[in-house]
Amino acid sequence: MRRTHLLACLIVVLVPACTPERPAGPSSVVLAVGEQSQVPVPVLKATRNRVADNDVADLLFLRLADLKPGGATSGESGFEPSLASGWTRRDSVTLAFDLDRRARWHDGQPVTARDVVFTFALARDSAVSPTLAGLLARIDSVYAEGDSRVVVHYRQPYAEQFYDAVFQVQPLPAHLLAAVGRDSLARASFVQHPVGDGPYRWVRSDGTSMIELAANDDFFLGRPHIDRVIIRAAGDADARLNMLLSGEADVLTSVVPPLANGDRVTSTGRLRLVGVPSTSIGYLLFNTRNPADTARPHPILSDVRVRRAIGLALDRPSIVRAVLGPYGVVPYGPVSSLLWVSRLTPAPAPRDLDQARRLLAAAGWSDADGDGILDRHGKPLRLSINVPAPSAARKAMAALVQEQLRQAGIQADLLLLEGPVHGERRNAGRFDIDFSGATQDPTPAGLTQSWSCRGGSNVARYCDPAVDSTLTRAITSVVPADSLWRTGIERIEADAPAVFMYSPVTVYGVSTRLHDVDIRPDAPWSRVWRWTAAADAARPDSAGR
Amino acid sequence: MGRWLAARVAHAIVTLAVAATLLFFLMRIVPGDPLSRLSDDRPISPREIARLRERYGLDQPLGRQYAAFLSGTARGDLGVSIEFGRPVTRLIAERLPATLLLGGTVLLLNFTLGLWLGVRQAVRRGGATDRWLEIASLAGYSVPSFWLGLLLAWLAATRWRILPSGGMHDVLLGPDAGMVPVTIDVLRHLVLPALTLSLVSIAATMRYQRTAMLEALALPFVQTARAKGIAERRVVWHHAWRNALFPVITLFGLWLPILVTGSVFVEQVFAWPGLGSLAAGAVGGRDYPLLMGTALLASALVVAGGLIADLLYALLDPRVRHA
Repeated sequence: MRRTHLLACLIVVLVPACTPERPAGPSSVVLAVGEQSQVPVPVLKATRNRVADNDVADLLFLRLADLKPGGATSGESGFEPSLASGWTRRDSVTLAFDLDRRARWHDGQPVTARDVVFTFALARDSAVSPTLAGLLARIDSVYAEGDSRVVVHYRQPYAEQFYDAVFQVQPLPAHLLAAVGRDSLARASFVQHPVGDGPYRWVRSDGTSMIELAANDDFFLGRPHIDRVIIRAAGDADARLNMLLSGEADVLTSVVPPLANGDRVTSTGRLRLVGVPSTSIGYLLFNTRNPADTARPHPILSDVRVRRAIGLALDRPSIVRAVLGPYGVVPYGPVSSLLWVSRLTPAPAPRDLDQARRLLAAAGWSDADGDGILDRHGKPLRLSINVPAPSAARKAMAALVQEQLRQAGIQADLLLLEGPVHGERRNAGRFDIDFSGATQDPTPAGLTQSWSCRGGSNVARYCDPAVDSTLTRAITSVVPADSLWRTGIERIEADAPAVFMYSPVTVYGVSTRLHDVDIRPDAPWSRVWRWTAAADAARPDSAGR
Repeated sequence: MGRWLAARVAHAIVTLAVAATLLFFLMRIVPGDPLSRLSDDRPISPREIARLRERYGLDQPLGRQYAAFLSGTARGDLGVSIEFGRPVTRLIAERLPATLLLGGTVLLLNFTLGLWLGVRQAVRRGGATDRWLEIASLAGYSVPSFWLGLLLAWLAATRWRILPSGGMHDVLLGPDAGMVPVTIDVLRHLVLPALTLSLVSIAATMRYQRTAMLEALALPFVQTARAKGIAERRVVWHHAWRNALFPVITLFGLWLPILVTGSVFVEQVFAWPGLGSLAAGAVGGRDYPLLMGTALLASALVVAGGLIADLLYALLDPRVRHA
């Protein structure tokens, strides 16, 4: 009996210690992410516009052209060829793209103009792709001229015609999808086993936490240096970090915050940090309407002096430094560091507590009862701030905001809310101040969504016709409209519909076994095919030792 | 016995139906919009959200939604997840094997090692073994599983690097690796989450079993058996233990659902692709179809746990089935 026990113990101890051998030849990269991609075919996403889906799609599918790092979305000079080898402007409303004749789908079929026309038809159908259909509303028609030329015709002249044609739509193979009814596309087997034209081809997914892609040997722009890409999802941030630290993952997104993670990563000696400008922005959004009755103005925040005072009462650089360290900047206006117009804007206003107090006094707020909180007609200057609990950065910043507002005589009550509750209240306008976050497309045209009178995402009901007019002129301008953009953003900043708190730098933890690492802010994995890595046998994780 | 069993099964079905109805309506009372998270990554306008609300039937009156849920469930169709855009049954089926493997391993360890240690404690009451196991079980019972998980992951995976930190497979192994390497690989990934959950659950089982066994060992028939000269091992395991199993059977009925859906924290810490984290995500995102699917499964397991416990009682004690 005792021998049996001993044997059982040995099995329990030894079996886990055995490490299965891996093939020595190929090189792989394991990317740790927070969410498993479910529909890695952007045009076919009926519901959520997930970053996880877009990131996988960037490895499988090509765009007609890619945005250069820091490239402007107005005009054509900010782009470089990809699926299209060249393009011609025929007139102010017509662009023609010549497809690279070497391009092939992963099943060997050539990529043709028919594929592009077919995909644009899907993207512009609001029943198939409601989000894209809205974004492509200014395209009048897309048609083929022969096998390798696509012509895009617009309803009007405007500066971002090229961007609209190339950025939002990644062509799909018509020969595999044309026979599938549009109602059935989202459930088609293609979604689970996509066939693309990009540097990597689909191998498998376990449906829950892993997607494997293999190098496309026939990729016309050059075979990828790394043979396999494995995208590994783990919802828990600690679990992801452990994967990176143990060597089971080579790259991890959003290592910071918390700041201490950066030190943990670099102290291993075999990992480094790579900072990439972010497409995100965080801001304290003021509700200009009364949350209890949206037909009436907000009793406190409808006064622009109060809104400006709140902005001036905050030392935003110190708040950002405390939470994000060097990995964040204070934006001027609703402009993330990725948007090219961020180069046009002045520096954000510094903290000016005296000016804040003067503005509040002018609005009728004073500390009549001497309790440290300003009041008016016997009512304290008290506001609630809705904070989404899942956001570590916003949670940490909100506490600092609360303390700094208290110094100005403003009582801020923090309401930590679950994601769906936060979203529900935000969309319904049930808040005083909402600590919002947004991920922006590279185009400043998207600013109209939240900062124009009839913007679809303008939940705070901010409305300044002068801003609308300026932004519309900037968007429809056929010549570079830098001054218009600058004027519009300055006007938004002056109206103070929000305090623009931070634009984070996305911090990636990257294994030192990877070289030539190029991470694009708008499409992080799109250049993985140019990275290089040692063979898997040299991996430093516990299984590969 | 047949009639008794039929009555118990009918009772279980009614319980499940009531639970499903309560879940359906309670879920919709809880604040939070299932579609609000769709705009987390990039803005989606309220108009698009309204269109999606229509697509998922969320714009319908509650009674009509309930009727649709009932008819779908009767056909085995739990709907399409709002978050994942895929059928709920498929999502559950994908996660179930991982959950069953982890939960099954923990149950096995719990009700073999835990029972054996509890009996040993009772037999050696007051001795060094009892005292040390008492301290160990108290410590195990007191430690939060997520904390223990984080500690074990840090020690074994990132510091000593002897075991993988998370997941269920070595993602580099490939699907054609062969049965033996794949099995060893899964076992290696199983060690830390199973150990974390087992240390906590075994402690509870040990304590229950020790108390029950002490009571059984003090009963007159045990003294009679000893007086008859029956071997101590037989007295302990054949006579006393059988009578000390009842509280543990109750515990088994309670553990069954908890081990399938209750290991949320451990699954998250070890990135174990099971149902617990899926259910937690559904709650967090108010993904009604997925939430109903996982909640129904959990309810079914609660009912099944109770039913199995009743059956085991009846098997061990004829008085139960004749009552």
